[in-house]
Amino acid sequence: MNQDSSLIEQIVERYDRDVGMLIPMMQDLQAECGYLPTDSLRALAKRLNVPLMRLYAVATFYASFRLAPKGAHEVSLCMGTVCYLKGSAGISQAICKEFKVAPSGTTADRLFTFTAVNCVGACALAPVMVVDGKYYDGVTSESALEILQGLGPAEQAAQADAKEAAE
Amino acid sequence: MPTVTIDGHSVEVERGATVLDAARYAGIWIPTLCYHPALSSEASCRLCMVELDRGDWRQLVTACNYPVRHDVIVYVMSERAQQARRGVMELLLARSPDSQELKELAERMGVKGTLWPKVTESQRNCILCGLCVRVCEQIIGKSAIGFAGRGADRTVAAPFRQPSEDCIGCGACAAVCPVGTIEVRVHKDECEVEISPFKSRVKLLVCKQCGAPILSTQVCEQALRNVGWATCLPMQACSQGNVGMGRKSAHATFWPELRKRLRLCPKCRRLQTAGRVASP
Ligand code: SF4
Ligand code: FES
Ligand code: FES
Repeated sequence: MNQDSSLIEQIVERYDRDVGMLIPMMQDLQAECGYLPTDSLRALAKRLNVPLMRLYAVATFYASFRLAPKGAHEVSLCMGTVCYLKGSAGISQAICKEFKVAPSGTTADRLFTFTAVNCVGACALAPVMVVDGKYYDGVTSESALEILQGLGPAEQAAQADAKEAAE
Repeated sequence: MPTVTIDGHSVEVERGATVLDAARYAGIWIPTLCYHPALSSEASCRLCMVELDRGDWRQLVTACNYPVRHDVIVYVMSERAQQARRGVMELLLARSPDSQELKELAERMGVKGTLWPKVTESQRNCILCGLCVRVCEQIIGKSAIGFAGRGADRTVAAPFRQPSEDCIGCGACAAVCPVGTIEVRVHKDECEVEISPFKSRVKLLVCKQCGAPILSTQVCEQALRNVGWATCLPMQACSQGNVGMGRKSAHATFWPELRKRLRLCPKCRRLQTAGRVASP
C-alpha cells in the first residue's frame, strides 16, 4: 500500500499535478502495474481530487486501458471484414466456449488474454489469429483451439523466446 | 434581437437563445428527451430535430442546442423534420421498450411502435441521454455515475459497476431520467435508500418520534454544510458550543430547537408546531 501511494505520488508529480494530464498518468500507471488496479485508481482520483467516475470512464473508453491483469499470452483474433466473412465469429465463439473466456477477457488461470481486434492488415491470410505477435493464417475453430491448447505458462514461453533469440 | 420564424410564426429572442427556447416562447411544441433547462445541452437524443432554412437548402439541426445568432427560419412540422424525429423515436423505442413515458411521447408524435429489434438486457431501458450523469456532476457535484464503455457498449454506470461511494442518495438522477429507468428504493428494514440500478445505498435519517424515514443522511449533511451549519449535524450529538463558522452568536439560542426539529419528519414537525400553537 505504501509502495503504491509513493508510485501514485511519483506519477502525479511527473505531470505537475495537472488534472489535464490524467490520461498520460493512467498510461504510466498501467505501464508500471501491467493494468490499472482498482485501489491505485482510487488513490489517483483522491490525489487529483477528481471523481473516481471520471477515471473509470476514461479507463473503459480506451481499449488500451486494462482493469484486470493480463494473461501470460496475448491472443488476438481478427474480426475485420474479411476475417469475419471467412468465419472468425465462429472461431471466437469456439474459443470463448472452450476456455470460458469473454472477448477482451482473460482466462481464469491467466493463461491468455483474448481480444477480438479489427483488421490486422493481412486479409489475404484470413482468418488471422495472432498469438504473442506470431501470425497464424487460415485458422479454423479446430486449429485455433489446438494452437491455444499448446500454450504453456509464461515462463516456458519466455524460455522459448530466449531460445529462439539465441539461435 | 434576432427573429426566429417557426412554421410561419415569428418570435424575437435574445441572441444566443436556442431554437428550442424560441419555439417554447412561441408556444410551439418540439419533443425533447435529453434537454433540461438546469443542465448543459448535449444534444444526445436527437429527438428535437427541426429543419433550418439555409436559403437554397435545408439542414436538420437539434433545436435544443442550436443557438440563434441572426434571423432564422425553421420548420418544425415539415415532412422531413417530422420523419427525422419519428425515425429517432423508433430507435429509442427499441432501446427502451418498457418505458411508459416514452410510449406516451411516441403516441403524441404519431409513432405507433418500432420495427427495430429490441436491444440487449444490460442496455435495456436506458436511452443514454446523459441527464442523470449531468445532474449528478453539474448540480449535485458528486459524479457518482457516468458513462462507461463506448460505442454499442456504452452504459451509464457507477465506478467499477459497484455501488458508488460518492453517491449521497439524493435521487436527482431518478428525478431527471426521462424514461423512468432510475429508481429510488427505500429499504425500511435496513433504514437505507437505494439508487437502482446502480445499487448505491445510503443510510436514512428517521423521525425520532414516529420512526418514518425522512431523507438520506448524506443529503442532510450536505445541505447543512451548504448553509454553513455543518458542525451541527442532527445525527451527531453536538454540544451547543460546537457551532462553528462564526455563527455562534447569531444562532446559538436556536440550536437545540433546530436540532430537535431536524430529527422529526414533516408530519410530526407539523403536529408539534400545532401543539405549541394550541397550548403556548
Ligand atoms: S442519487 Fe446518487 S447517483 Fe443519483 S444524482 Fe444523487 S448522488 Fe448522483
Ligand atoms: S480482416 Fe482480418 S486481416 Fe484484414
Ligand atoms: S433534446 Fe435536443 S437532442 Fe435531445
